[in-house]
Parts: sequence; C-alpha cells; structure tokens
Amino acid sequence: MPRRSALLLALLASASVLANTPLTRAAGPQIDYQKQIKPLFARHCNGCHGSKKSMSGFRTDAGRLATRGGDRGAGIVPGQPDKSLLFQALTGNDDLERMPYEKPPLKAAEIALIKEWIVQGGKYPAEEVIVGGRRSSEHWSFQPVVRAKLPAVSNPAWVRNAIDTFVLARLDREKLSPAPTADPVTLIRRLSLDLLGLPPTSDQVDAFLADTAPGAYSRLVDRMLASPRYGERWGRHWLDLARYADSDGFTIDGARSIWKYRDWVIDAINADLPFDRFSIEQLAGDLLPAASLDQQVATGFHRNTLINQEGGTDDEQFRVDAVVDRVNTTGAAFLGLTVGCARCHAHKFDPISQRDFYQLFAVFNSCEDNNDANAKGPRISVPSPDQASQQTRLAAAIAAGEKPLAQHDASFAAGMPAWEKRLASINAGSFTMLKPAKWTTAKGAVLTRLDDNSLIVDFSVPANDTYTITLDTTLEKITALRIETLTHSSLPKNGPGRADNGNFILSEVTLTSAAAKAANAKPTPVPIATAAADHSQEGHPITNTIDGKPETGWSINTKTGSPNVDRQAIFFPAKPISNTGGSKLVLSMSHLGKTANYLVGRFRISVSAADPADLKIPAPILAIARTPRDKRSKAQQAQLVDAYRRTDTGRKTLSDTVIGLKKRLTDLNKAIPTTMVLRELKQPRKTHIHIRGDFLRKGAQVLPGAPEVLPEMKSSGKVGTRLDLANWLFEPQHPLTARVTVNRYWQRFFGLGFVETENDFGLQSDPPSHPQLLDWLASEFIRRDWAVKDLHRLIVTSATYRQSSATRVELLERDPSNRLLARQTRMRMAAETIRDTALAASGLISDKIGGPGVYPPQPEGIYILTQQKKAWPEAQGEDRFRRCMYTYFWRSSPYPFLPTFDAPDATTTCTRRSRSNTPLQALTLANDQAFFELAQGVALRMLVEAPTPDHERLRFGFRACLSREPTGEELGALSEFLASQRKRFSESNTSANSVAPAQRPVGVNASEAAAWTAVARVLVNLDEFITRE
Amino acid sequence: MGTSDNTPQASVEEQLFVREQTRRHFFGSAGLGIGSLGLAHLLSDGQFDSATQAAPTTPGAPGAPQKSHFAAKAKRVIYLFMAGGPSQLELFDYKPKLQQMDGKVIPPSYVENKRFAFIKKDATLLGTRRQFLNWGDSGQQISSLLPHLGSIADDVAIVRTLKTEVFNHGPAKLFMNTGFNRFGRPSMGSWVTYGLGSPSGNLPGFVVMHSGPRGPRGGTPLWGNGFLPSQFQGVPFLNGADPILNLSSPQGIDYKNQGQFVRAVNRLNALRLKQVGDPEISTRISTYEMAYRMQSSAPALMDLSAETRQTLDSYGVDPAQGSFARNCLLARRLVERGTRFVQLYHTDWDHHGNPGTNLGKPLDQRCAEIDQASTALVKDLKQRGLLEDTLVIWGGEFGRTPQGEPRDTLGRDHHIESYSMWMAGGGIRGGTTVGETDELGYYAVKDKVHVHDLQATVLHLLGLDHLKLTYRFQGRDYRLTDVAGDVVEKLLA
Repeated sequence: MPRRSALLLALLASASVLANTPLTRAAGPQIDYQKQIKPLFARHCNGCHGSKKSMSGFRTDAGRLATRGGDRGAGIVPGQPDKSLLFQALTGNDDLERMPYEKPPLKAAEIALIKEWIVQGGKYPAEEVIVGGRRSSEHWSFQPVVRAKLPAVSNPAWVRNAIDTFVLARLDREKLSPAPTADPVTLIRRLSLDLLGLPPTSDQVDAFLADTAPGAYSRLVDRMLASPRYGERWGRHWLDLARYADSDGFTIDGARSIWKYRDWVIDAINADLPFDRFSIEQLAGDLLPAASLDQQVATGFHRNTLINQEGGTDDEQFRVDAVVDRVNTTGAAFLGLTVGCARCHAHKFDPISQRDFYQLFAVFNSCEDNNDANAKGPRISVPSPDQASQQTRLAAAIAAGEKPLAQHDASFAAGMPAWEKRLASINAGSFTMLKPAKWTTAKGAVLTRLDDNSLIVDFSVPANDTYTITLDTTLEKITALRIETLTHSSLPKNGPGRADNGNFILSEVTLTSAAAKAANAKPTPVPIATAAADHSQEGHPITNTIDGKPETGWSINTKTGSPNVDRQAIFFPAKPISNTGGSKLVLSMSHLGKTANYLVGRFRISVSAADPADLKIPAPILAIARTPRDKRSKAQQAQLVDAYRRTDTGRKTLSDTVIGLKKRLTDLNKAIPTTMVLRELKQPRKTHIHIRGDFLRKGAQVLPGAPEVLPEMKSSGKVGTRLDLANWLFEPQHPLTARVTVNRYWQRFFGLGFVETENDFGLQSDPPSHPQLLDWLASEFIRRDWAVKDLHRLIVTSATYRQSSATRVELLERDPSNRLLARQTRMRMAAETIRDTALAASGLISDKIGGPGVYPPQPEGIYILTQQKKAWPEAQGEDRFRRCMYTYFWRSSPYPFLPTFDAPDATTTCTRRSRSNTPLQALTLANDQAFFELAQGVALRMLVEAPTPDHERLRFGFRACLSREPTGEELGALSEFLASQRKRFSESNTSANSVAPAQRPVGVNASEAAAWTAVARVLVNLDEFITRE
Repeated sequence: MGTSDNTPQASVEEQLFVREQTRRHFFGSAGLGIGSLGLAHLLSDGQFDSATQAAPTTPGAPGAPQKSHFAAKAKRVIYLFMAGGPSQLELFDYKPKLQQMDGKVIPPSYVENKRFAFIKKDATLLGTRRQFLNWGDSGQQISSLLPHLGSIADDVAIVRTLKTEVFNHGPAKLFMNTGFNRFGRPSMGSWVTYGLGSPSGNLPGFVVMHSGPRGPRGGTPLWGNGFLPSQFQGVPFLNGADPILNLSSPQGIDYKNQGQFVRAVNRLNALRLKQVGDPEISTRISTYEMAYRMQSSAPALMDLSAETRQTLDSYGVDPAQGSFARNCLLARRLVERGTRFVQLYHTDWDHHGNPGTNLGKPLDQRCAEIDQASTALVKDLKQRGLLEDTLVIWGGEFGRTPQGEPRDTLGRDHHIESYSMWMAGGGIRGGTTVGETDELGYYAVKDKVHVHDLQATVLHLLGLDHLKLTYRFQGRDYRLTDVAGDVVEKLLA
C-alpha cells in the first residue's frame, strides 16, 4: 500500500512522540492494549469496522487505524477521551449514534477501561500488523484490459477487419447470420449522418455510385474524416458530456460567454487531437507547463457548471455543488462510474468509499470560481489572430507615443519648483469684499444686510425669485467676482440655501458694469467666460449658472458629509472690467428652477484683480504650496503635483495621440470574446469529507487522490493536482478510460454500447455483450495513441457497421435492441441532425463554423414560464440557417425544437440521449415556422434545379431529402398528393400565397409553388427523413 | 373527410403486416413509443376526424394507461402550486404565543445552527396581523383571508407540519417536484404519467399552466422528465388560442388540408414500414394521428363558450383573460378529458416585505386571486362526481419564518422547518388537520410530514407504491421519494 505509507509513517511518528510524552495527571494502573483493549474492539467493533467491512471508513482492528479514524475524523485524540470520536460513540450524542449500532452498549467497566487507555495516551505497539490493504475488486471492469486473440469464425470471407471476427464469432455461437450489406445509398447516407451529422448531397451520392474502383468506400470514409463537418458532429456529442450551454442555469439563468470552448472542441476534433491530449487539456490545460491560450480555453469543460444567482443563496453551497458536478461528470465521462453515489455514504454497489469521493472532490476543490454570477469566476480573452496582431500593433504604437510624452513630462516636471514658489507667493485672499449698496428682489424676498456685508433672506421665500444687487468698487481692474454662499442659524439646517435641507438652486448669474465716476454711465453687460466653484452637486455644476438656461442651476448637496457648509463660486469675465476710478456693478442672481423655493439664503460678494489662472487654483492647493515640502503629507504632495500638471498646456496634443490609441486598444479588447476557464487558487482549499453529504458537517480531512480500487494516482508535487488526475486517466494500466471511451463511440455508431449502461461500468452494470471486442478495441485505441479518427475509420469500415438495418422478424423477437449485432440499428436522429438535415435539403444551410450563439426563429410564448424573459433577437440572413449546434442555449428555456427531440438540458452530463417518438415531435415538424421555411426551401429547389416534368421534380425532392430514389409506389403516392394540393391551392389564392415561398421562379404561380411546398413538407416529415438507417 | 379525397386504401396485407409489427413492438421489450393509437384508423379511414373522441390505446404500451400497484383512490391530480412560499402563519397556523412575543428577539435555542436566506439570527418575532376563524362542522382553523376555502373546510385536509430541506426558491421547487434539490430527476407529474400512463388520446397526460406576474423560479426542470423518456415531460399550456407550441398548422393550411397532409405522410411511412419493418415507424404513424387530433381537441379545450355563466362566475373567470381562475376551470376541463396530471403555478407569494411583496395588501390580493377559484374547482369537481377520484393539492415550496423580515413593510423570510398545505378529493380525509407546530410555529412537534412523505402519499392515493415506482438509471433504481418517504395515514379517508 504505497499510497498510504506516507500517512502511516506520519502516524507512527506521532504515536512514538506521544509514547515519550510524560502525562501530567497521576497515572492509574497501566492499561495493556494487547490484552485489555484489542479484545474489546474485536468483540464489539471489528464486525463493522474491520478489514472486511469498514463502515464510515473507520477500522478498529488495529490501534493505528482506530487512532487515524474514518470519514468523520480522528478516532482517538490521545489523552482526551472527550474529543475522541471512538469514545463518544460508546455513549452516543446528537450527531453520533451510540455504538455498537442497534446492539447493547458496552459495560460501564469496559467503557471506563477504554477511557483510561485513551487518557494514558491510547498507546499501541508500533509493530502491530494491519491485515488487508488497498480495497480491491474482482469486477471485470476494474481488471486490466486484455487483448484477446482473434477468434475463429464460420465465414472468414465476411470479415473485413478484426471487429468482424468478434462479432461473427458471437453470431456463430447464437446460430445467427449477419445481415446483408446495406445498399450503397444507405451506406453513404449512414456514413454521412454518423460522421458529419448531415445527409449527403445528391452529387455526392452520384459520385460514390459512379466510383466503381476498389477502395471507393474507404476513400469516401477518408473524405468525410477530413471534412470540417466531422468536428461539428463529434463536437456536439462531446458537448453533451460537457453539459455545454450559454447561460448560468437555475432561476435567474444569466447569459454567459463560453462559446470559445465549444469552438475549441470542434477545432480539436477536426485536428484529430489524440483523445488523451484532448482530455488532459480540458481537465487541466491551465496546469500544463507554459499553457497556451488554447489549452486554457479547453478547461471550459469543467466551467460548464451552473451558477445560482438567486437572492439569499449561500454561495458556498452552490460552489460545492459545482465541484460535485465536476466529480460526477469526470466519473461518468471518463471512468464510467457513478461516483456521485458516494457523496453521502459509501457506494451501495461499487467499491467506492466516501473517502474516495472526497479525494476526487479535493482534486477539483481548489478552482477559483465561487458561484459568483457577476464575475463568473476566472475568464480569459481569446483574440482572433487578426485581433491579436492588432493588439500588438496598437501596443507598439502606444509605446512609441509614450516616449515623447515621457520626455515632455520630464522637462515639465523640472519646472515644478519654480511653479511652487510662485504659488506660495499668491495671496489667496486677494478678494476685496464689497458692501452691497442697493438690492431689489423680483418676487418680494426680503434681504437684509449683515455686518459682515453678507445679505440674508428671511423666512418668506417667494417662488423663483431673482436678487439684483448693486455694488460699488474702487478697484480699477476686475478679473473675477466671487459669490460666497454662507451658512446661518436662521436658515433650514443652517443653510446656506433656503431649501429644507439647506440646499439651493442658483440658476443664472449675470453682471453689468458701469464706470463709477461717470454719473450717467450706461451699464454694459459683462460676458462671463467661465465660473468655478469649490463644490458642485453631481449634475448641477457651477457652469449651469452661465449657460443661459433658467431650468439648470448650481446646487451644493453632497453624497457624503454635510452639505450645510460655506461654499464659494468665482465668475471670470471674458475680459477684465476696467474703469478708471472704479466701477458700479449690478449683479443678478436668479432662481428659476422647478423646485421654486430653493433660494440662496445668505451670500456675500467680493471682487479681485488677480490673475484668473491663480484664482482658479483652489485654496487648499495654495495652502499646500505654502507648506514647506518636508511638512507636506504624501497625499498633499500628490495633490500638488496633480494641480501642477493641470497647468501643462503643451501635453495635450501628445497625450491625445496616446489616449486615442489606448481607447482603440480598449475598444478592441472589449470586442475580444472572453471565455470561462479553470484556474487554481494560490492557496488550495482544505477538503473534508462531508458527513452525509452535508457541506456544513465536516469530517476527516482528505487530500486529492483517486478511488482506492483503481490504480494509484501519482502526484507530481506534494499533493495531487488536476493534472495528475488527468494524466492518471491515461496511464497504460488504467482499466476504465479506454474501455469507457470506445464503448461510447460504439454506442454512437450502433445505438447501444457493448456495455449498455455507458455511464456505469460498476457492479450494477450489464455485462458487456462482446467483452473481448470491447477490450480489443480499447487496447487498439491505446496502441494507436488514442487517435480518434483512426478508431472511427476502423469501426465504419467493418462489415459489422455496413450491414443493413432492416428488421428481421426473428431478430425482433430474439434480440429487439440489437445487442448481438446481426444487423445495423435504425436510429431516429438527434435533434440537431434533424434540423441540419432539413437545412441541407433546403439548400439554405450555412457552412460557417463557430462564433457566438445564434437565434433562429422560434415560436412565441417560450418565456411565459421563465422567471425572466430571455433575449432572442431573431436572426436574419446567414445566421438563421446555421447548423443547429450553434443555436443559443438558455438552460431555463431551451430552443423548443431541442428538448422536443431529446436534446439534453445541459444541467448535468449526458452520455446518451433517449430517442422518443411523440406527438409533440409531429407537431413540431409539421407546423414549426422555422421548419416550414425549410420545406419551402426544398420546394424552391425542386422548382428551380430539377427538370420540369412532375416526376422529375418529385424524384429530385425525394433524393434531396432521403438520398435514395423513390419506388414507383412512393412516386405514385406523392403524385396523387401533389394533384390534390394543386386542386386545393388553385381554389384559394389566399392559402396559396401563404404557403408558397415569397420568392418564386418566373412562370411559377402561387398555387403551383404552394402545392410543391406541400409536397416538400411531406418529405421532411417522413420517418425516414429523421432516421439514420 | 371520408374517401372523397381519393386517398387509396391500404391493402389488407399492408394492414395486417403493420398490425403485426405493432403488436410485436409493444409486447417486446424495445421502444420508447407512445403506443399504437389507432393505426387502423388511418388505414381504414375510420374515426380519423373525430377529434374529441379518445383514441383506443394498446394496453402495455408505454404512455398508455397502466395498472396501478393496488386499488387507487385517485385517478388524477390537480396540483395548485403557490410559487414563492405562502405564509402558513397568516393562512393556516394560528399561534397565540407568537402574538404575545411580537417584536421580541427569537429565543436563540430555535435558531442555533440554522441558516436563512435573508434574515439574521437575531430577527424579531412577528405575530400575525390577520384573523383566524373556525369553519364548518370540523371547525378547521383557517384565516379570514380565505373565506371561500373556509366554506369547504369539511372537504379539505390541512397539513400544518410539512418539512422541506432547501431554502432557496429554485432548489426548493425542484425538491417539491422531483424529491431532489438538484437537476436531473423526473418531476412528480412525469413519475405519475410514467406509472399510470394517460387515458387521454387527444391531449397530453401532464399539463402545466401558469398565472401571475412571471414564471416560477426554476423553469422547465420543474416539470421535466429527468431521465424518464421525454414523452413524460409536462407540456406547458400557454394562455391564448394556441395553448401548445406549434399547435396551429402553418398559415394557409386549414384543418382539412392538414388531414390530407397527415394522411400523405403516413401513407409513405406505411410504405417504409413495409420495406424495413421497424416498429418505430408504426409509432411514428400514430404520433402524427394524435398530433392531428390534438390540433382540434386542444383549441376545443380552451374554448370556454360552452361553460355556463354560472360556472364562469363561480370561478370568477373572465374568458378573455388569462388568470388563475381560468386555469382552474381549464384544469377541470383537462381532467374531464382524461389528462392525468395538471399543475397550475401561481406566482408572487414571496412576501419578504418589499413594496409589491409583503403581508399587507399584496397578500390580500394573492389570496383573492386564488381563494374563490380553487374553492370553485373543488366544488365543481364534487358536483360533477369527479372529486372522489381527483386529488387537489394546494401549496408552495416552503413557508415563512415566525420572525419578521426587516424590510420596507411587513414580511417574513423562507421557512423550511414547518409549513402548511391543503389537499382535497381522491381518498383524502376531509375536515381534518394533520400535525402540530410548537408555540411559535417554528418546528413540528407532532406528525411531521416530510416532502418525501407527502410525495409517497400522493402516489399511494394514485394506487402506486412509492417504493416500487422506480426507474433504473446509472445502475440504480431511482424513485420520486429518493431514499425516504412514509405514507401519511392520517390524511387518508
């Protein structure tokens, strides 16, 4: 038991340390473990907690194991019986059944003895032998893959490759013979649907029929394996396992961006990435050395878990659920094991303990994501090659632009000391207070002058008043006028405004001037160029007072802190007011906003002749400048530097270039799609066994590891990682990964795998129908370095695959689900293949690969039953006719066509779809508008591409939809239907116009086009149309 | 339609061949088909157009009526799902002690080791502001918010001690419907139609309808088929003339022409069946027939013009308007036509104390929306002799806390320890209240009814043993009640 050895060594070490620890309490008679304790355990405990059966992962048949404990944690804490689970179990408590379970308790003396033993340190001999080691199993699927010799068969001529020998040998045993080879048209259609998910075109069928040279079939297979459609088809199969969707799931079901992962799957399969690399990159691509962008994108596999954004959720609970889902998905997809059964208790059937489950849980437990719906956990940007080169170009241009900027900044910075010096010399108090000479109010507000020359308004507060104040000054040059709004105890909340909260809305400020000396000088308006305030409420800047708009104004409320403080605003005339001997100023302050009583409550006017640039420097900055440099705080210095930079007029052109480039880069980056990925926390989370699966009840701590019954998982570092687990899956001696994978491939080609329960290879699984063939294929897969296309080629070129799927009466009775493989299996196609087949037959299909999800037309009313209406911007043009796998998938309300035809709901991994046959499917194919559009497309092709005679058109349509030629009977039935429809539509122009395609070829009237549409509609509704035969 | 279309008749050999294939198919082990619904009708052109007539079904076919495990008390279910979690403390569980302790902090012993969606452990208790009355001969205690329900108190059994396990809406609704709080398992309606099939040849066996301002949290998985074949998934009915997606033929194709279309499809399908002999084709033929019948039977179902004024008024239905009342009436019409399981979701019971969702006016409104109609449904079923074998269930995914939730107005948080539901009809003992909660209405102190117990009881009433109604998936026999569930004997008549 090499894996356990480190742990045991640690335990041995601690035991020996304890043996040397002197106990502080007076010791009673020394308890002899071998003579007094071990027999007690043997009599009462080992039956359920021994080498054969170890309930709760706990064993008492050796002191070391009893001390280590089980799923709940340490069994014995030396010296502390009350903290020892083993001792607690003897009496039981709320959380722990009294032991022995459903048997009489131990005698009081026996309990006391055990207690004393623990008090004395719970010592046991270091050399005590532990019986039994690793869990093992005789079950076939846990044994190594054995490559069998090819069996002898009755008819070697039938055999095309090794597969056939195993199949025929089995049929020989059953005294059955294989079915004849399917006809060539069925074969090419079958191959095309299986490998590409699309029917062959009529030209492809003709070319195949015309190729009579040997190897025509193999060449056909090679062509298909090289088609990019192959990656889409097999990518879709894989996405079922990956539970891929475009939304978070649960009730809020927000949108997410992870389609780059979907595209990665398609590309990887088209590139024939070997299955081991394909899997390792998805499970742990981020942990590979120098992980490429693609390898990170691949880890989206395990980010397809759900996120619950509902209010009042415990994020930890749903994070744990996501981790559990990763374990279950890994189990089903790679191991073919229902490991999830061991979440709450040991697996009922399989040799998987709760500890095993939580060791796997630990592998996935340190991913960064945490049910955060807004951030969606770790994401990366995935630029296209073009975007990446744009990024490089822009980054270079930015660097080039930043160089001169840096030079400029350096020389500008050199000028700062001089600037500081000048600032220190500015007299901020260079305003001269003016005593109002006269004042009037338009609506009757009563203003009173206070001793400090401020004016205060009284309680009456008329609506929308305007103050007009006349002021005289001897100052000959005025560069600025200041209004201070001041608090006062008579104002609401002390003002400075008259609003209930002390605010005001000053809507307009205007000024006229006249020479003070000239008695009758005409006042002239003073245009105000700018205004600055020490504070403005958001959305109410001071510039509102000089914008000529009465509805806007300056206000002073604050988001934080009190608004009820003194404020000031400075107004700068466009040109200084110059009058020899001083000026007479008339200032008008109006309050014309919607909230009519928001008047300024108290204010004071002053003027200045200082340089406006200096005045614009806020007082705090001036104060900093006056403070000696070594007395300034860091924040103050930063403020000062910032203020200095504002004076830099030469920088703008230089920086605009860089800013422009940066904005382009930002916009580019925004346009680059992101995708959700796995990323490991720097500090891994601790993993405990969850008692009864409840994440709040933590049991013993466990480290990452694989189930004990399987080969050991090697750790590359101190503890195992996802990468270790991923590599472990592909160890040559691993018994499951290859078997499970080839079995699932087989299922895709024949309807069922050799093991029918494709996601359960455990003890409850059905025995494989062809165990030797399963193992032979598994070993062949490994021998071919997990090359998937090779394996698929092998399967589809077998005689077994090429058999006819026609039903034989004796087989219907004997082998209804075709486990013996005496024929091929007729299978209704997957939802996506049905729509794709119709798209192909209509000629409308787009061959664009990848990109964000698309929105083909869907019926009304999908979102009536969801909590939130989902966006469905119906596609026009090419995106309307994309392959169905690109349809945007909302988990709470999937595109209805998909679930109707058994597509999975993407909430958990799906290893096999059911193939139901329901009236809702009939309604969908018959009536769905999007599907009807495709029937119209087929009709149009019959009218445009086929020769004119009816039977030629019918033949053309039949072949476009079903690949084969119609029989005479079928042609007869269609002709009769065509005749009845011609009659029907010639009787009603309105009906004909609704049914016929909008665009019709010249010379075809509506009723004729409608009749052909009706025929096409029949063709795309046939059972054969939606079946792979 | 008859033979005037000159559709050729299938030969006798064809008919015999097809029938034989069908028989083999359904008595064999293969197939997920829906049952051979009158294939002979197609070939003989018999009652093909008679949309309201239930089609004959083949015994043993999946989806066709199955035998129950033992004699059933109920044959069908109407489940009125009150989404959001109605407050049992305002409606069914009156607690004088809670009144006394109104405004006091809840004793810590109640909330040790408990988690809540929104409130904190020191939230204060909230006595109800509502009146309770004793109703009927049985004297059942029901809030004055539900006077109509009070009038049928003697027909109704109230459970006061329902216990669930999850306190978020989505997972709790899943738990109530599937017995499990995560995705992937079949819903109750799917289990029931899987177990019993559906006698309706013309309408789905499991129908879901919705009323209220938005869909229930959780969406399609609430009526999903999980790992059961998809024919057992609930079919959502939409408000409007076209209750099922894609029910209407494309524009320009009338019902008669659609019949010609179906006939042509199936004639060609029958030819293919003859060529390849796959029984799935005969199933396909029957699904097209059933779809065709559904195209007239579903609109007929939605057409309320044949209902009397008196009936409409008793439910409070405005035929032109989608509403819970209208859905109740439609539920009756559905079960009359053989639908096995009808589930009506009515949303917005999540009374946390926000402006639109609190225990004041919004609760009055919710109650007014459902009280008359759900009562009328029970009465109507009774009058028609359907109540005795139709089980009506009313309730939400959880209840509300005895503590108030400190928001704008009066409200309560999600409560999973004990909450109330009512049931009536098929095998239920009317006039009885099961279970008792502690003096604060927090925990059950007598007759705790776990959700799995309720599910076991529903199945029992339908003649199904919840331990035996299983489906093998991933190597395990799954069931609705997971690994628990006991039938609540006290609820049984």
